[in-house]
Amino acid sequence: MSEPTVLTDVADATVDRAVAQLDGWTLQRVKSTALVDSIADGGGVRVVVIESTDPSLLRTVVDRAHAAGVAVVVACADDLARRRAVELRAEEWYRCPADAEEIVQRMRSAIGRSIPARAAVADRVERVEYEQMLHDALTGLPTLPVMIERSRALFKERGELVVLYLNFVRYTKIEEIYGWEKLDAVLETTAIAVREFLDDTAMSTSRLMVSFTNDDDFIFFHVPAAGVAAATESEITETVSRLQRHVASRIEAQHGEDIAALFDIYVGRAHVYYNPKIRLERLIYRGIREAANAARSIEERERARRVADLRSSLRDRAVYIDYHPIVVTESLEIFGYEALARGVLRSLRSPEVMFDVAAEADLLWELSRLCRSRAIEGIETRLQPNELLFLNVDPHDFNDPAFNEREVKYPNRVVIEITERTAIRDYPKFRERLRAFRDIGFRFAVDDAGSGYAGLGSIANLEPDFIKLDISLINGIDTNFIKQSLVETMVKFANDQGAMVIAEGVERAEEFKAVKDLGVHLVQGFFLHRPSSLPQTVARAVASR
Amino acid sequence: MTAVTPYRAEIMKNGKLPPILVVDDNHDNAEIIRQYLEIRGYPITVAHDGDEALVLFETVKPALVLLDVMMPGRDGWEVCRIMKQHPTLGRSVRVIMVTALDEWQDKREALQIGADDYVEKPFDLPTLAATVQRNLAMQRAMAS
Repeated sequence: MSEPTVLTDVADATVDRAVAQLDGWTLQRVKSTALVDSIADGGGVRVVVIESTDPSLLRTVVDRAHAAGVAVVVACADDLARRRAVELRAEEWYRCPADAEEIVQRMRSAIGRSIPARAAVADRVERVEYEQMLHDALTGLPTLPVMIERSRALFKERGELVVLYLNFVRYTKIEEIYGWEKLDAVLETTAIAVREFLDDTAMSTSRLMVSFTNDDDFIFFHVPAAGVAAATESEITETVSRLQRHVASRIEAQHGEDIAALFDIYVGRAHVYYNPKIRLERLIYRGIREAANAARSIEERERARRVADLRSSLRDRAVYIDYHPIVVTESLEIFGYEALARGVLRSLRSPEVMFDVAAEADLLWELSRLCRSRAIEGIETRLQPNELLFLNVDPHDFNDPAFNEREVKYPNRVVIEITERTAIRDYPKFRERLRAFRDIGFRFAVDDAGSGYAGLGSIANLEPDFIKLDISLINGIDTNFIKQSLVETMVKFANDQGAMVIAEGVERAEEFKAVKDLGVHLVQGFFLHRPSSLPQTVARAVASR
Repeated sequence: MTAVTPYRAEIMKNGKLPPILVVDDNHDNAEIIRQYLEIRGYPITVAHDGDEALVLFETVKPALVLLDVMMPGRDGWEVCRIMKQHPTLGRSVRVIMVTALDEWQDKREALQIGADDYVEKPFDLPTLAATVQRNLAMQRAMAS
């Protein structure tokens, strides 16, 4: 191929100096009218620098150049020429007079832009998308098609393969509560922890690869090394339980105990033997399915055990309440507490898990009743006389005949939090029930406000006294200006309605500053206080020890 | 040229200004933005549709993308999503959606796909420049 050439009709010698700066390039100077033919000559022409102001000539040159994959830089004497250059979609332009550096820069950028001729653009975009499909952007782990290709030869050679299927349950819950950014971060931590761990185990001597199915499950292929037996069942079981502890501790260190409490991992395995009669991909996919089923049946057994735990907890009233302070943004004084019910048994420690189990076992009302009565006890034993109790009530609980407005001695000390997430079916009837509560002094908060696409209309419908912003809006609000604008809208709306806005999930100083600057009235979050079952004064004394 | 002074100061402090990719299917709009920001010292690359934007994204490696939402073919939402998922560039790039985003839903949508900021159409150029600046400042703060 001939050497790269810049073709030009520009008389000015600055262009010569510019081309001299491009290593190994030559300059070919022709009359304006000869440009078109010179491009067609082929050779090494990569860039045309044109100063002709003849519009039809310019158009022909650009068309011809683009057809040949050659970039066009227009030397513009005036604004008209510049507009024309842009209109004709020349790759670049510069205003005359320009120095050699500017011209070089324009030529370079033009070359960069012209590499994909129009037809090739689609190809390149497709390639980018394709590559993104092969490796998970978040964890950098290969996806299944890549992994099957990589293990093909090894599997054939060694004759066996162990598939481990890691099912991370409730990762979807994290996304539901905290938003996708949080789940992304947790998945990243998980992938790092898993890799760390594997580098460190007996299984690392064999070939081991990790895949990621773009959801919350991971798959491992373990192909034993030459001359080494595949890991035995007991080795795998032992490794898995250590892996579980390792990942859990990493998640707790990085993302806190609330998220770690949601963490559960079930591992299923399958042993696959090479069989030349069966397509290798099918063997592997069957192995994955078998391992996934095994993981699921372990999960089911675990679930049954938890239902039994819940029944015994209900019988023994084995639920305690953590009180999470809600403070006034300006003064930091305590305004009230959100009651968070937790199981005494370790398997039911997380409220999300406990209520999940209750929903499955059809014990929601029983559990809600217990949690409510426990939380309300705290008004007398736990709260100062001027502090409010924020109580989570599912819209579904309002149908419970045992739940009525007379249940509480101090209705004006209680704020009922209703989540925006649960769809309310019978609105008129629901509002009527709310009114009965409101009439004797209860107040209401809309929880998780802004979590859905529904705007302020659905919130206005409930006429809340408090609006609790969804955690996903607060998480990283300091760096995201769209979140700031949404919260600003919400604060303005609340001010118009005479309601107060509460930001929950404030974990960092930057987030606190951002919500304070936006005028959010109340805040709740680990940055200020952790939930505690002790009275605040005691908790403070404990913390300072 | 007093208006340019703060930008000059920024150039003096930080050397070169980071490259910006402007994506708009309307050539006039794109050109107006290009000129306005170029005068302020930002290296600007322009793309006129989603596919072109994605290719230039990889070659130019912009620090910030000004992305029109309404484009024929691949729209701004999709382009933003793909950019944000890019294995090497997705983490650091700031994406500003240029749109008539006055609706609550649109902003939720923008959050969902990972956009960092938005400029409402019709925009005025000083607002646009201020938005660019605050996002680049945020990017620097996050990097350090």
